[in-house]
Amino acid sequence: MIKRIIVVTLVLFLVTMFGISKSLAASAEENYKWYCSQCHGLKGDGKGINATPDQPVNPKNHTDAKEMAKLSTSDVENVIRDGGAATSKSTMMPPWGKSMTDAEIKELVPYLSKLCNCKFK
Amino acid sequence: MKDFLLALICSMAITLIIAVNHSAAGQAEGKGIYDSKKCGDCHLTAGPNTDKTFAWLKNPKPIRQMEYNSIEKKNSGNHSKLSDKEAGDVTAYLMTLKSKDVAEGVIIDGKPNIQGKLVFEKKQCCYGCHSYPKSGKVSGGLSAPSLVDAGKRLQGDWIYAYLKNPKSLIPVKRMPTYAGILNDNDMKNVAQYVTTFK
Repeated sequence: MIKRIIVVTLVLFLVTMFGISKSLAASAEENYKWYCSQCHGLKGDGKGINATPDQPVNPKNHTDAKEMAKLSTSDVENVIRDGGAATSKSTMMPPWGKSMTDAEIKELVPYLSKLCNCKFK
Repeated sequence: MKDFLLALICSMAITLIIAVNHSAAGQAEGKGIYDSKKCGDCHLTAGPNTDKTFAWLKNPKPIRQMEYNSIEKKNSGNHSKLSDKEAGDVTAYLMTLKSKDVAEGVIIDGKPNIQGKLVFEKKQCCYGCHSYPKSGKVSGGLSAPSLVDAGKRLQGDWIYAYLKNPKSLIPVKRMPTYAGILNDNDMKNVAQYVTTFK
């Protein structure tokens, strides 16, 4: 009986902890809204408030399936983590690797795939 | 001669007492205004401040184009406008606040810095989010606070401390963390460069 109580308590504890850690990590949608949308727009169409006419390059349109499908999963992860400078793209794209965890960056990949309605290489 | 010396010492002592009392009164009144106007509802009081605060408090113009932490709502520019006396008192109070995160005397404000310009315009493109003065025009993004006139209101030491650990000074979310990305010299250079915006 005592053994059973211990096992049930342990399982409940683990389930609760899993739930808490999940809720603490920001969802891909939340991270997109906080970080990416200021340039790429809340809808991902590249029309964020920082896309002013005097900027030298336009933010990528994340809903453009043709352009987005040219990228691989690691291209997407690398450019988010290290920014444009580390991936031979414009340095207008800042590095987010110290603002988001690796797990959060990986979770943005399926979110972006949903936005462009395309698959990465 | 003795009387003259005594009178001189007395007058100096009185002047000192008046000066100390005046500044202490201003600070206390400033704190009173700060509390009654609920400035602490939006501002942290443990942060650093600048001696250019006085002019801004009398004529507050939005530094952020958008509301704090928003990219959808424009800043309505409804910051309290203070009278000369109030602005003086609140400035006196604000000048008493110090942050343990800001080391003083590291950055020389207003001194041109080419390396900092390179970081700002090429290496990290800070203007992607911050507007700044470029060739006599205002250029750049809108999601972050404007850096136009930054040299009139920010201290280089504060900018450097902010770059090292942004969240220790303002709970802002959209600014990328550059600690571990920009080296210490880059941070010092760009902090100094920003203080040249006037």
